[in-house]
Amino acid sequence: MTTKIRIRGVSKTYQSGDGHVHALDRTDLAVSEGEFVSIVGPSGCGKSTLLYIVGGFIAADGEVLVDDRAIAGPGIERGVVFQEYALFPWLTVRRNILYGLENRDLAAAARNRIADRLIGVIGLKSFEHRYPRELSGGMKQRVALARTLACDPAILLLDEPFGALDAQTREVMQDELLRIWLETRKTVLMVTHDVTEAVFLSNRICVMSARPGRIVEEFVVDLDRSVGRERLMLSDAFNKVRNEVWLAVRKQAVMAAQEAIA
Amino acid sequence: MADAAGITRRWIAGNARALVSVGAVLIAWEAAARLELAPPLFLPSVSAVASRIAALTADGSLPIDLAVSLARTFAGLALATAAGVTLGIAMARSRALHWLFDPLVSLGFPAPKIAFIPVFILWFGIDSLSKVLLVAFACVFPVVIATYDAARAVRRTIVWSAQSLGTSRRRLMWGVLLPACQPRIFAALRVAMPVALITTFTSEMVAGGGGMGASLMYAQRFFESATVFAYIVVMLALGLAFDNAMLMLRARIPAWREDG
Amino acid sequence: MTSATARAAGRGAAWAWRIVPIGLFLLVWQALGSSRLVDTSFLPTPIMVAHALGDLLSGHEIRDNLLVTLWRAIAGLVAGAAAGIALGVGMARSAAFRGYLAPIVGATYSLPKTALVPLLILWFGIGDRMAIAAVFLTCLLPVVVHTVHGVTATPPVLVWSAQALGASRRQVLWRVLLPHALPDIFTGLRVALGFAFVVAISAEMIASTAGIGRLTFMYGENGAYDYMFAAVASVVLVAFLADRALLGLGAVCLRWHESGAGEA
Repeated sequence: MTTKIRIRGVSKTYQSGDGHVHALDRTDLAVSEGEFVSIVGPSGCGKSTLLYIVGGFIAADGEVLVDDRAIAGPGIERGVVFQEYALFPWLTVRRNILYGLENRDLAAAARNRIADRLIGVIGLKSFEHRYPRELSGGMKQRVALARTLACDPAILLLDEPFGALDAQTREVMQDELLRIWLETRKTVLMVTHDVTEAVFLSNRICVMSARPGRIVEEFVVDLDRSVGRERLMLSDAFNKVRNEVWLAVRKQAVMAAQEAIA
Repeated sequence: MADAAGITRRWIAGNARALVSVGAVLIAWEAAARLELAPPLFLPSVSAVASRIAALTADGSLPIDLAVSLARTFAGLALATAAGVTLGIAMARSRALHWLFDPLVSLGFPAPKIAFIPVFILWFGIDSLSKVLLVAFACVFPVVIATYDAARAVRRTIVWSAQSLGTSRRRLMWGVLLPACQPRIFAALRVAMPVALITTFTSEMVAGGGGMGASLMYAQRFFESATVFAYIVVMLALGLAFDNAMLMLRARIPAWREDG
Repeated sequence: MTSATARAAGRGAAWAWRIVPIGLFLLVWQALGSSRLVDTSFLPTPIMVAHALGDLLSGHEIRDNLLVTLWRAIAGLVAGAAAGIALGVGMARSAAFRGYLAPIVGATYSLPKTALVPLLILWFGIGDRMAIAAVFLTCLLPVVVHTVHGVTATPPVLVWSAQALGASRRQVLWRVLLPHALPDIFTGLRVALGFAFVVAISAEMIASTAGIGRLTFMYGENGAYDYMFAAVASVVLVAFLADRALLGLGAVCLRWHESGAGEA
């Protein structure tokens, strides 16, 4: 398998108030094509920052290579889904999804076909002419996902995409995402604070230390997802992995808290 | 038929207090005028003012004045919007431009632009051009500031999403930032509208050259108080009408509403 | 250097850096005149304007007229603010009162207040009283609107907490409602200050024997354009400083406010 994303020695420091905040400290990570990698870690450890760097929104020290080439800013091959507030409020659902397609070389008919298909996939046909402000949180994230998928990016960067949703909606969306990934086998890099979600979706989990962040532990997740959510989540294999990852994150969180008090 | 009556009844019920207070004011005014509590010169009766408005409309002088003043107001406002929005967005995207213009904008914002009337008359004469440009000058400041603030406040997730969907720099400014700022620009225009009206009327009052303000001053100089009141009432109605029009527009166009 | 002086020096440097664009603007302006690209009778150079300004500040003409205008604006503002706050509080506390008054407030808000000047001339003649009356009427409304907004937006829990601690109606007004409304009131005052200058100067330009508005016009009519520009510049400066002063006052009075509205 080829390496799709290679992150080498990436560091990021912010100026803040009187001093510096070291968000990331020489982080390394390699993601192979078709993998679903989740990054978990204590709050404020810099995992979102790392994602933004890979997305090309923030500059940083170190190397970020996609397909063995250094990135130069945001790009259409790296689709992003943020936690919230990313839909264009002045456009309807349909126009939001069509937005990225307008930058590609496609005839109007082709664009509309893609939009129609995606609107059907996310199940919002009767809402396609509504504005984001009229949608619930779950619906908005579905539109955000559809908008990103419309451009068929090879890589999906997800920043806590379901963090703002309630528990039930979150599960529905996770199932949806899993289905899409199994179908398309895109390379996915997801940041989440929800360990259970990471275990449910990914085939590799990276644990980040507290600030300044670096990847300190990795877990390969080799579960049979075809048995369905109920059996999977109640299985011993699932819970064993979940507990190990949770402990690893917990360890980092506790260390961070102790340092803060010290 | 029953529908119209029902609608009217509901409107009256909903606006009962408004009708009562406005009605009370009008009645008190008319009574004071009739009882000559103040000399007719100071307080013409409501009926006198109303009939004067009718007369001025009939002989065409009021409509002409309205047309002249409103043309100036809207021309100035359009100019201010085009210039203000462009500058506001440009300042939001370029630190250098912001550094260059911010002190001027901050200095000019609290200044009474009316004070510049003699300057504009010197440069552009006493006709419409100087008035239109003065209106534009007065309205551009709130528009620039509101646009700049709005552009800076656009959530970065929106900008980043647009960028990762392959948006060029140009499209980012005009196809993403500008639409994202629409609600606040609209709010600024709602504030700028009365400013535009005041500036138009005042410059007409001061410099003449036709329009409502000039006619108002003319009436005052000849002590025609009914006419003075008539023009003031029409200006009041204008201000109200435009504000309501903007509110209606906002209700119709979802993109102009501030969303959550 | 101690950290306090270092910070002060830093602030001074930042302030100086902000002034540079104005310096550039003045340079370009000067260059336009000196190079004869622009006729200096239409656009006197900054040096000519500064000269006029200096002359008259010592000769008192600009200063005296500025003071007249300032007096009218501030007097009208203070009276309008006091009445506006009182009215606003009344409207905020009594829904019935608000229901009756709000339509009138809303209607007159849309009236360009300078339109009242000819009417006020009929009533008060030309002079101080007319100008102050115009400013008073103009400043009333923004203060009322902002006061109502500030008072009605007071979270009930604040009032209830005070009442549970035994506060009388009067104490609730002075110690809960008004402090909570203070940031909004200050915003209203800032708006009213801007209006005050506009109306005072408009009134003078329309019909008056004194004031900086009148003076500016006179210079224009007599062709003394460098003095005219000097008068305009002095108005801009005074308005800017008055606004800053109000902001500073607000910063002091609103030190405690969460949103940092106290940090100008």
